[in-house]
Amino acid sequence: MLMATSNPSVFLLMVNGQIETANFPEYDDLYCKYCFVYGHDWAPTSGLEEGISQIASKGRESSHDLVWNFPLEITFKSTNPFGWPQIVVSVYGPDTFGNDVVRGYGAVHIPLTPGRHTRTIPMFVPESTSRLQKLTSWLMGRRPEFTDPKVVAQGEGREVTRVHSQGFVTLQFNIVTKDMKKLGYDTGSAESAAGPSGERQPYVT
Amino acid sequence: MAELHIIGQILGARGFPQNSVFCKWGIHAGGAWRLLSGSREGQTQIDAPQAGEMAYWSHPIDLHYTTKGLQGWPKLHLQVLHQDSFGRCQLYGYGYCHIPSSAGHHRLQCVTWCPEGSWQEQLTQSFVGGGPQLRSPDLIYSGADRYRLQTVAMGMVELELTVILRHFDRHGVEC
Repeated sequence: MLMATSNPSVFLLMVNGQIETANFPEYDDLYCKYCFVYGHDWAPTSGLEEGISQIASKGRESSHDLVWNFPLEITFKSTNPFGWPQIVVSVYGPDTFGNDVVRGYGAVHIPLTPGRHTRTIPMFVPESTSRLQKLTSWLMGRRPEFTDPKVVAQGEGREVTRVHSQGFVTLQFNIVTKDMKKLGYDTGSAESAAGPSGERQPYVT
Repeated sequence: MAELHIIGQILGARGFPQNSVFCKWGIHAGGAWRLLSGSREGQTQIDAPQAGEMAYWSHPIDLHYTTKGLQGWPKLHLQVLHQDSFGRCQLYGYGYCHIPSSAGHHRLQCVTWCPEGSWQEQLTQSFVGGGPQLRSPDLIYSGADRYRLQTVAMGMVELELTVILRHFDRHGVEC
């Protein structure tokens, strides 16, 4: 992977990170699933594309966040930034009868610039479209769900969905890219490399 | 030919009179620009947040443009609408923002405005809803014919976009 190639045609995107915490004021004992959605030109070269976390409950003392501390490690290769990977996170937990129901879906693009990034993503659940459905889902204790969570990473067909946002998940990313600059792509990484903890790079004019 | 990638999300909106809002968006670019892949327009989901005043859409945007010239740098235009409990839609605001011309990650806040009717119209609006709308939506992103309009400030739409430029430096363009 680290071989020096003079004329590359693909670039690599290495993602190291974690699904750190979640904030759902109304729910507890939650777990999450993640997966990636990416375009045709993209392919994962190593790492896990999907995962399920442990069931976490809120801190008793100081913080009211759930902690998953769940690792993400994956590397992609591509020839074209179009279809840049997105991570889709879905959160589940028991309702009052102990059935697992969905508590939120969310998605965000993997950061495009090298360095350390924190992303807090809003989580939402779909709502029933009719009052009758609302009543039956309340009676049966079954909430509407997306059959495929990957729809939250797509821009098409969203005009028909009504949702209800009810929490946040915080993700941590460390991004390394290889050969993007060689292929002529400018991601403006010079300024973002100087994160809050990193040293500011001297300006070169 | 230089290439431009715009990747990110329309995060959501805040500061509108009511929640349960959604957004119709589109991208307008000049004649020299060609969209290679990605969708040029779309509509977000409708969010009724459980807590807080921000409605979240998390609507992904991924666009790939090539261009032969710099004129007509792409602009993103928005219409925020409210859907009430009867399923009726009402206009809450128009707005646009330029796609940033520098590469990197940008968090944008797009201000919006709404046409304001006469006091008779405002009175009926407060009872039955509705309200004036633009006949030609081009006015959202052009400054040519605005001087006859009376408008009122509305909320803010938040966006997170990352811009990738390719081969602009080859033509001596500094973005």
